[in-house]
Amino acid sequence: MFLRICWLYSELMNIYGDRGNVMALVERCRRRGIDVEVETRNLGERIEQGRYDIFFMGGGQDREQLAVAKDLCGKKGEIIRDEIENGASCLAICGGYQLFGKFYKPFEGDELPGIGVFDAYTIAGKKRMIGNVIARSQLGGRSGLLIGFENHSGETYLSENISPLGMVEIGNGNNGSDGKEGAIYRGAVGSYLHGSLLPKNPSISDFLIEKALLRKGSLLSFTPIDESIEENARAQAIERARKSH
Amino acid sequence: MRTRVALVAGKLSGGISRFLNIGGGSTFPGRVARFFDSGFVHQIEGELPKGSILITGTNGKTTTATLLADILDGSGIKPIHNSTGANLMAGIASTLVRETDLSGKLSKEIAVFEVDEATIPEAVKETNPRLILVNNLFRDQLDRYGELDTLAKKMKEAITKANSEVKIILNADDPLVASIGSGIEHDVFYYGIETPRYSKRKMEHAADSKFCSFCGAKLRYDLYQFGHLGRYHCVSCGWEKPETSVSAIDLETTGMNGTICMIRSPKGTIRAKIPLPGLYNIYNVLGAFSCALCLGIEPEGIIDAIENFRAAFGRLEEIKIGEKKILMILAKNPAGFNEVLRMLAEEDQKMDIMLALNDNIADGRDVSWIWDVDLEVMAGKAGKIFCSGIRSWDMALRVSYAGLQEESLVCESDLSSALDIALKSIPHGGTLFLISTYTAMLDIRKILAKKGYVAQYWEM
Ligand SMILES: [Zn+2]
Repeated sequence: MFLRICWLYSELMNIYGDRGNVMALVERCRRRGIDVEVETRNLGERIEQGRYDIFFMGGGQDREQLAVAKDLCGKKGEIIRDEIENGASCLAICGGYQLFGKFYKPFEGDELPGIGVFDAYTIAGKKRMIGNVIARSQLGGRSGLLIGFENHSGETYLSENISPLGMVEIGNGNNGSDGKEGAIYRGAVGSYLHGSLLPKNPSISDFLIEKALLRKGSLLSFTPIDESIEENARAQAIERARKSH
Repeated sequence: MRTRVALVAGKLSGGISRFLNIGGGSTFPGRVARFFDSGFVHQIEGELPKGSILITGTNGKTTTATLLADILDGSGIKPIHNSTGANLMAGIASTLVRETDLSGKLSKEIAVFEVDEATIPEAVKETNPRLILVNNLFRDQLDRYGELDTLAKKMKEAITKANSEVKIILNADDPLVASIGSGIEHDVFYYGIETPRYSKRKMEHAADSKFCSFCGAKLRYDLYQFGHLGRYHCVSCGWEKPETSVSAIDLETTGMNGTICMIRSPKGTIRAKIPLPGLYNIYNVLGAFSCALCLGIEPEGIIDAIENFRAAFGRLEEIKIGEKKILMILAKNPAGFNEVLRMLAEEDQKMDIMLALNDNIADGRDVSWIWDVDLEVMAGKAGKIFCSGIRSWDMALRVSYAGLQEESLVCESDLSSALDIALKSIPHGGTLFLISTYTAMLDIRKILAKKGYVAQYWEM
């Protein structure tokens, strides 16, 4: 079994330890005996149709996001969207999540077009939403909880056609008003949570890996792996979030 | 009159907080003084005959400021110095309260203030700086500062408004910092490392400033020092690393013992044995050297003080515990942490390491940054690893992903118990390398002080 991960804009969109997500995907594949390869695709580099099983994109600063939005519109964004329609899996965090929606409307200047994987849009907000997040989610493992740290001022709104990744218990999530956090569409997961997200939320990693394998026709029954350190880190982070809230 | 009231109130509050044994006594008097007189700092600082020097940057400001204070001291100019890392306005005010007698007279003639990056605009407004030094800008606690670009822009705005006599001293190797000096009316003095000796590595993951501040294009690097520091140029608009007045032109590392380097300046080239390890300390030395030179101190006098320097609090401290030793190193962001690891990886021995991770406000509440730390470089070098602090398990998870020997990993959140376990399990004559975030470092010092090993740092 073999999976190839495409790390989108590894140079520009890698803020707050986002690369930990790629490390988590690789590590969990490795522990399950799945061969895995990571390729980075940066500004001006094209994406070959059918080459990738999992896409990942992290967050960045405003200037970087602008450059990426420009690079993604057109053929490149289209290919990624098609791949996800055809069952590839994907994780997009923070700035990446915003660009996977339909558009981002900044305070001033033109709308930044997104690639429209998620039926959602983002508008610039005045308040910066920062802090630990706990969200209830079907991808939250045994406890049903996602754990992470948000740091964004963009407010993302989902259309009725699309499900949130979870509902916040602590923190702001997508916009601080409707209780939703992240988005999930087919094999694509979008979220505001850094942490890095995947190391402490291994069931999302498994979801992404499983979907990617499914597309390749390999129905792998996942054997449980030792997650004691992960479980301890989750418990400690949950306690910390609840206490400091 | 109002300033006098503020001063007395500040002094009284200092006495009270010491009497009540309240921690954080290093900023309380300043807060009280500024409450009674918002112009307190301006009034008192204005009395300094030689003015003040503001030192900022994400990493190394305490070391740089302490180095400069030592150099001044050695050349007979007694400086005021906010040496406890109290680097917000309240800390600066507290230092002034302490150094002023009740009649409002200052005991010294010049001040060296280390200033938090985001506090620079306020500090420039409230003081009469002679020199402003910016050492570097790394991603650090962005939850507090917003984005780096914005931070640099605000700094530049503040500097533009400063008195035109002020000299600006900038690290040329940091593109974002160097861009502050472009197009301003002030005298700008650049320093940097001009030798490629240790630079044959690709850019680290934690690299921050990779884009031209003027046209937004990606910068091309001819050589890297660490993080995003190095020799760079913009292929699109032609902007490049500015010419340096003070530079390290030859480096030879002696591991944990420090670095021998040749420093070139308008006053000639001089050899320096720097008793602090790591490239980042070379930048701290060059920064302090540049300031001292601008203040008219001769290179020989500067080097004398540098060679006799003892590390600033927590930046690198050796503590003897009977037959064993603890080497305490502060690491508060990925760039600093990576530099520490790189320095440790140069050692020829297996090392027992304790990593203490807290997520209080002063540490940055978001611990995501540990995933930008290249713990992988310790493969084959790490012996036992102890993780501790409020987020000990996040650190343990990071360690396990780094492929370091998991069987020798111990995780204990309580710092005191973790220290006991770690000290017990290292061999006789051995050293525990303790890398810690800021508030964990404070706690560790308290714990060790209780056991009688180090002086509490606010005993000044
Ligand atoms: Zn340029």
